Amino acid sequence: MTIQAQPLTQHHDLEDPVHEDDRPRTLVQTMTAPLSAFGQDMYGLWTLLRQTVQAILQGRVDRESTFAQLYSIGNGSVLFITVTMIVLGMILVVQAGMQTQRVLPELSLLGANIIQLLAREFAPTVCAMMLATRVGAGIAAEIGSMVVTDQVDALRMSGAQPVDYLVVPRLIAGVLMTLALSFWSLFIALMAGTFAANTQFDLNISTFVNFSFVNMGDYIVMTLKAIAYGAAIPIVSSQRGLTTFGGSEGVGWATTNAVVHSSIAIILLDLILSVFGYIAFPPV
Amino acid sequence: MTEEARSDTPFGLIVPERMGSAVLGIAAELGGMGVLAAQLVRRMLPPKIDRYELTRNLYKMGNKSVGIVASTALFVGGIVVIQAAPLVVRFSATAIIGWAAGFAMLREVAPLLIALMFSGRVGANNTAELGTMVVTDQLDALRALAIDPLSYLILPRVIAMITMLFALNIVGDLTAIIGAIISANALLDVDFSLFMDSFLEMIDAWDFMQSVIKSIGFGLMISITSCYFGLTVKGGAPGVGRAVNSAVVAAAIGVFVMDYFSTYILK
Amino acid sequence: MILLRNVSLRLKGAWVLRNVSLEVPPNNVFALIGPGASGKSVLFKVMTGLLKPDRGEVFIDGQSIAGLNDVEMAPIRAKIGMLFQNYALFDHMTVYENIAFPLRRLFNLPEEQIEQIVAERLQRVSLPGFQDRYPPQLSGGQKKRVGIARATAQRAPIVLYDEPTAGLDPVNSQKIYDLVRDEQRAQGTCAVVISSDVGGLLTVADHVAMLHRGELLFAGTTAHAQRSGIAAVNQFVHGLTEGPL
Repeated sequence: MTIQAQPLTQHHDLEDPVHEDDRPRTLVQTMTAPLSAFGQDMYGLWTLLRQTVQAILQGRVDRESTFAQLYSIGNGSVLFITVTMIVLGMILVVQAGMQTQRVLPELSLLGANIIQLLAREFAPTVCAMMLATRVGAGIAAEIGSMVVTDQVDALRMSGAQPVDYLVVPRLIAGVLMTLALSFWSLFIALMAGTFAANTQFDLNISTFVNFSFVNMGDYIVMTLKAIAYGAAIPIVSSQRGLTTFGGSEGVGWATTNAVVHSSIAIILLDLILSVFGYIAFPPV
Repeated sequence: MTEEARSDTPFGLIVPERMGSAVLGIAAELGGMGVLAAQLVRRMLPPKIDRYELTRNLYKMGNKSVGIVASTALFVGGIVVIQAAPLVVRFSATAIIGWAAGFAMLREVAPLLIALMFSGRVGANNTAELGTMVVTDQLDALRALAIDPLSYLILPRVIAMITMLFALNIVGDLTAIIGAIISANALLDVDFSLFMDSFLEMIDAWDFMQSVIKSIGFGLMISITSCYFGLTVKGGAPGVGRAVNSAVVAAAIGVFVMDYFSTYILK
Repeated sequence: MILLRNVSLRLKGAWVLRNVSLEVPPNNVFALIGPGASGKSVLFKVMTGLLKPDRGEVFIDGQSIAGLNDVEMAPIRAKIGMLFQNYALFDHMTVYENIAFPLRRLFNLPEEQIEQIVAERLQRVSLPGFQDRYPPQLSGGQKKRVGIARATAQRAPIVLYDEPTAGLDPVNSQKIYDLVRDEQRAQGTCAVVISSDVGGLLTVADHVAMLHRGELLFAGTTAHAQRSGIAAVNQFVHGLTEGPL
């Protein structure tokens, strides 16, 4: 069966391929453009989060992929986090100790104060920033490569939804692992800090390891932060991965943006939750 | 994923073997970075730097990061005050919040945070760019044209990264202090003059200098790591991805270790 | 079988498909040709609903696919098997899992049946026993053939092949074209094939459509195309260096 195709005619109803960027903009458009781009971005992230949570609540969870992600995020990062927290735990104690010595005669309460700081702020946030670097880049690179090699399209053609198959496992693994690693970070930093306090300021262990200032509120804030960070990193990184374009260079940009934007998200969430923690669970 | 080679080591020695090879691997990388640094130093005397490359890199690395660094530092200034608040309240010393926050900020938080964000953004991108150039034989093409890749390509990038981190750190310090002032006002009712009183009294130029010196040190660490992993990429496009990951992780650890030792050196 | 009516699509500000109206009949090998970047792969994505056109309508087997989301598209996609240009094999799954994946998702087949289908498909593309290999371990040609196995495993009435012979030597290319035609004759499917290797493709194609800069220049039988009076079509079909292209 034959169809007579139209010969090359003048298509008056279609514009010439003028790229949208060349069209003249009003001043207002130019000035609000970054803001509207930011707003669209936020909306995209929110939509992805909503879709992923919906998928989880509706039970569309791929068990095998989730376990694979748990392993990749958790085991893959443990060493890195441990080394980092040892160093930071020691720095924190030494710096705080040196400064406190300028004002107070003795350091008996140093441990107590530091532990509370570790729980509320240090352990979850630093742990999450490190994870954002490692895990965020990995997720964006993996998903980004799948996008540019048409694997994501192949998933859709095979009846699988990219959100269910790719994002859900990473969100679950992210939240669980960030939670676990945050508590691990607290433990490690505490050990390293105790060691530093002992060698640097001759504080013995029982004086330093003093949990009297740490109450339920501190643990609640820590848990909330870990959950928030653990959700932010995979959502932001997956979104950057899924919106990759432009071949391998695009994957590079997706990776970089994933790390930076996850880090910014963590800091924003940190600010919000710290204020919340200060108001809801005021210092003892 | 790929089939693992059947190892011939007896079961009891598997862990020591892995640890040993890990240590050797790290040693090799540190050595490689040291060699790279030495080669770059040699090309600095006398300094012949391609001006165009230098300006291009300065613009690319600094310009796009200012906004992010400034806004991040603003929030972090607020966070430091919030976290220091329980301590000063406990000791009924709200008046010294300026000093407490300022000290933590300048000495530790700002240089570390800005260095990490810089590493994640500029460092990773630089590694990816260099890695892609290696994989597409562009470095060999340069050598074939009798252009030394290290002095033409790498040296401007290293100098640009150190310079930019230095500048961004200063920007970050200032914005963080602003953030701290705002939140001290909002949360502890400490007004601007009270904050600045304790800040200026207890914080001297040396504290500020420490922040600056650290940023230069971190800049050196990040740029060398980033360029090293970019130049030694193997294995095509996935290799570039691995190199970026390694570069960022190595830079982070290097920055922390450097920070630890600087705690003792810069007293 | 596949009907496009006045389809236009814009990507990043430029129109990549302009007013394309095309009808692909069932039970034939349909060649889709054109110079690079003329919109052929994009046309495939529009046909499968992976991209939605800015204007115009798309009908698969009489059913409009406008406004359907991925979940609603699943039963329609069950009727389409697709070989992607870069084969798009899932790197983290074995060859077996790759071929089994759409079978599991789109149909509820028992595992023994899936095993049989995979084994038979691999046999058909001359890769017997490759079930447990991973895509990174395969050569380009082998990956292509696994992709073909995956695309044809569904026994779908429509099969789309995007550049099945790119990068292959002439002998293997012809083998692939023969495979495409034999499969089509055996299953009575509607096979649409994109290829830059016009000569080889036209040896097996029944109908031809040619795209140029997003516009449809010609659609008709192969014989018709080879005698076409349209200059661009003539030049492209016969591989001439002189002409409007």
